[in-house]
Amino acid sequence: MRFQKLWLAVAVALATSPMRLYAQPSRFQQDPVEQYGARVLTLVIVTGIAVVLYSLIRYRGRLTGPISWALLALGVAILPALSSGFGTVLVFERAERVEFCESCHLTMKAFVTDMKNPQSESLAAIHFKNKYIPDDQCYVCHTSYGLFGTVQAKREGMHDVFVYYTRTFKFPIKLRHPYPNNDCLKCHAESVKWLGVHGDFKEDLFAGKTSCLECHGQTNPAHNIPDERASR
Amino acid sequence: MNAIKKLDTDPVASRRLLIAAQILALIAYGLGLQFLLRTTGGTVFVFSTLGPVLVGICVLILAGVTIHRFLRSHSLFSYEIFQPGEIVFQQGEQGDCAYFINSGEVEVVVVENGQEKVVAVLREGQYFGEMALITSHPRNATVRAVNATKLAVLGKKNFLTMLNLMPSARKDIMHTVTERAMKTSASQ
Repeated sequence: MRFQKLWLAVAVALATSPMRLYAQPSRFQQDPVEQYGARVLTLVIVTGIAVVLYSLIRYRGRLTGPISWALLALGVAILPALSSGFGTVLVFERAERVEFCESCHLTMKAFVTDMKNPQSESLAAIHFKNKYIPDDQCYVCHTSYGLFGTVQAKREGMHDVFVYYTRTFKFPIKLRHPYPNNDCLKCHAESVKWLGVHGDFKEDLFAGKTSCLECHGQTNPAHNIPDERASR
Repeated sequence: MNAIKKLDTDPVASRRLLIAAQILALIAYGLGLQFLLRTTGGTVFVFSTLGPVLVGICVLILAGVTIHRFLRSHSLFSYEIFQPGEIVFQQGEQGDCAYFINSGEVEVVVVENGQEKVVAVLREGQYFGEMALITSHPRNATVRAVNATKLAVLGKKNFLTMLNLMPSARKDIMHTVTERAMKTSASQ
């Protein structure tokens, strides 16, 4: 009985720990995918570990009947497949977070620190402190519109992770390609305020003949980073 | 390939493979927990690339062993060759087939208090492994090839069907089973 209570306490603690460790800042903004997905995934993993350990200790690799086979199938096939499924959803969800980008300390920390700095007047900081983008700010600004934009971001992100962990990156950190106008226009274009200022040359902006950063980059750089760490 | 060949001749290999699958599954779970507790580029990369590979290997091992066991228990005189000293089955294992000696010799070994004792040597034309199929108890002895031995394997289902269809064979086999059971208990 005491063992069962202990087991329950451990399971509950583990199930809630991912929420505490990776909690979102505002309570009214709880993401249901994170809120429930992380708990379900933790429960699946904890159950899986318990099933595998029980099966290992009890049967030691022997298939003595339907119960031993069922436990084995549950522990090494069904629950791992479930955890991969839930895990993939969470991977896509969490890979968009600012905290995720920031986890590559050597390369990205300076960009995120600038963005979160209330004194900074960089474009990233202005968007962040004014909540022009509610969350996932890195991802929103650096991902092009639509499904292809998401796929491209994930593909390039995997490459970046590889380069980071193999320490094959070089300073200054540069964008792969010039920052596309579309990534600004997907939010700003055609709003009344934007048309009032940009209406006369909007076709040039849409066609990419004029870059948004040609004007905005001069007064407010995208990020305020020392030159040796990153090019602007 | 080597593992599959080993699986064909040594039931211990299937146990080892299943234990390996369970250890790989534990590693996969560990990667998942690491990703949950600390989401970084590294943990996401490892979880989303290495994790599915590990799970895939686990599923392949489980499927391979299950199919192998099914085919074995439904085997209709498939042949297996054992080299001298190779173990056909071990005492305490669950039995899923009987063996008929086509050529060569095997010794029947009982382990008592950690000491091996050879209780019988069986030759061409004789059979063994039938007792576990009739009683559904684990193997009561280890059988080891003395020299190069060719065995015909009859799966449990087909063995029991044979007993039902051939009363004379059943009588003969039951007589042998009783004799061997008495011999084993006498040796203990």
